[in-house]
Amino acid sequence: MKALGRIFALIKRNVKEILRDPLSLAFMLAMPLGMELLFYFIFHGQSPQFEMKYLAPGIVAFAQAFLTLFSGLLIALDRGSAFLTRLYVSRAKSSEFILGYAFSLFPIAFAQSVIFFLVGGIIDPSIFSVTMIVALFLSLIPATFFIGTGILLGSLCNEKSIGGVASIVIAGQSMLSCMWFPPESLGKGVLTVMRVLPFKNAAELLQKGFLGYSDFFHEFWQPLLILLAYTVVVFALAILVFKKKMREK
Amino acid sequence: MNAIEIKNLRKEYKDVVAVKDLSLDIKEGEIFSLLGVNGAGKTTTIKMLSGLTCPTSGDAFVYGKSVVKDPDGVKELIDVSMQETAVARKLTVAENIEFYAALNGMTKQETEEVKQKCYDVFGLREVAGKMASKLSGGWQRKVSIALALVTRPKVLFLDEPTLGLDVLARRELWRTIAEMKGQMTIILTTHYMEEAEALSDRIGVMAGGKLLFVGTKEEMYAATGKQNVEDAFIEIVTGGKAL
Repeated sequence: MKALGRIFALIKRNVKEILRDPLSLAFMLAMPLGMELLFYFIFHGQSPQFEMKYLAPGIVAFAQAFLTLFSGLLIALDRGSAFLTRLYVSRAKSSEFILGYAFSLFPIAFAQSVIFFLVGGIIDPSIFSVTMIVALFLSLIPATFFIGTGILLGSLCNEKSIGGVASIVIAGQSMLSCMWFPPESLGKGVLTVMRVLPFKNAAELLQKGFLGYSDFFHEFWQPLLILLAYTVVVFALAILVFKKKMREK
Repeated sequence: MNAIEIKNLRKEYKDVVAVKDLSLDIKEGEIFSLLGVNGAGKTTTIKMLSGLTCPTSGDAFVYGKSVVKDPDGVKELIDVSMQETAVARKLTVAENIEFYAALNGMTKQETEEVKQKCYDVFGLREVAGKMASKLSGGWQRKVSIALALVTRPKVLFLDEPTLGLDVLARRELWRTIAEMKGQMTIILTTHYMEEAEALSDRIGVMAGGKLLFVGTKEEMYAATGKQNVEDAFIEIVTGGKAL
């Protein structure tokens, strides 16, 4: 019970720290929302990518990439300011810190999915269906991957370098997810690289969940398994590096 | 009664020996100052005593609990204010105290009591609703030290508590530390000689990872033939080859 109380205290503090930073709200909510509206109204009808049933889940995956930046920034700033040293002296354990950092971002990830799906549904009511709820819960998988990546990078980088390093992940999600151009327009080699990396799989998982294919296993196994593998590896590394840094401190 | 007993404590980093076989007893309720120039080993000593880093060899006991074998037990008795300010930037002063109390498993009533005590001791009531990042460096340092009192530690480590503060803020913090005397054991590291002179019951002088002298300031004067802590410190550290 005491451990739960400590984790809850950490979550409460982290959520406040993130939500009180206007930049984090702008990047995690306002900018992707603006992109969802802009890309739909400018490009829909010209290419299938910009139909809301593809665009909304793609935007969710893109917005979730910012979770890497803000979870990483929070940890890097805590490390740099000696705040984490203070926490190390408290009775909390390293596993509680990691859970505190991770769970503080899940409500934000969930809010992102709800907002972008709902706005998409208001613009194009034809996308409202039960599968939206399936995609909503599926979105927690890429969210976990991006949060884990943030914890890992925040443990490795300092407050000056984390922005640059995390922006590689955001750029990767934008450029390598096949959100803005049809896969057919790309070469075979590029597509193979995209299939191996997590970014396209994150967007594809949500898009497939959103479209609600009947043959769940056939349609989902590839993006789901690849993303789960990345998530497990990234979180394992994040825990190892965070604990190592804790001992070094 | 001894609050802390240090036995041959040593810390090595690759080819550097930061602390060389330190042995020392610190009495319950005293303010003990560790004096030394940069790189003397003061902060490393504090880090070992507070469980932030493991000693290479030797051990230290806080009220009988080993920092090597029972670091979690030691954490229940101590708190630390490191030389860098350590507050949650986007929380108010009150929220910082509440967060740190919750992290240490305090009830709502205990949290309220400790919050009022922090306000009284450090004069924080007027800034309680302000976000920590909006406060001046002096106020942030006060909040940072106040947080170390939240857990009501039996032993408080203050690493360079007045570093970077202006003269008025420094004097005010001295007064606060002096008022805490007797309520807990305080181990203070500093390289401000007048700070050690004004606050300490006993002074330890470190240089190159070694403890060169331990005693009251009067004993320090007697051992060196000097009339103030600064001159006596220079005499001890330079081995009589005063600058």
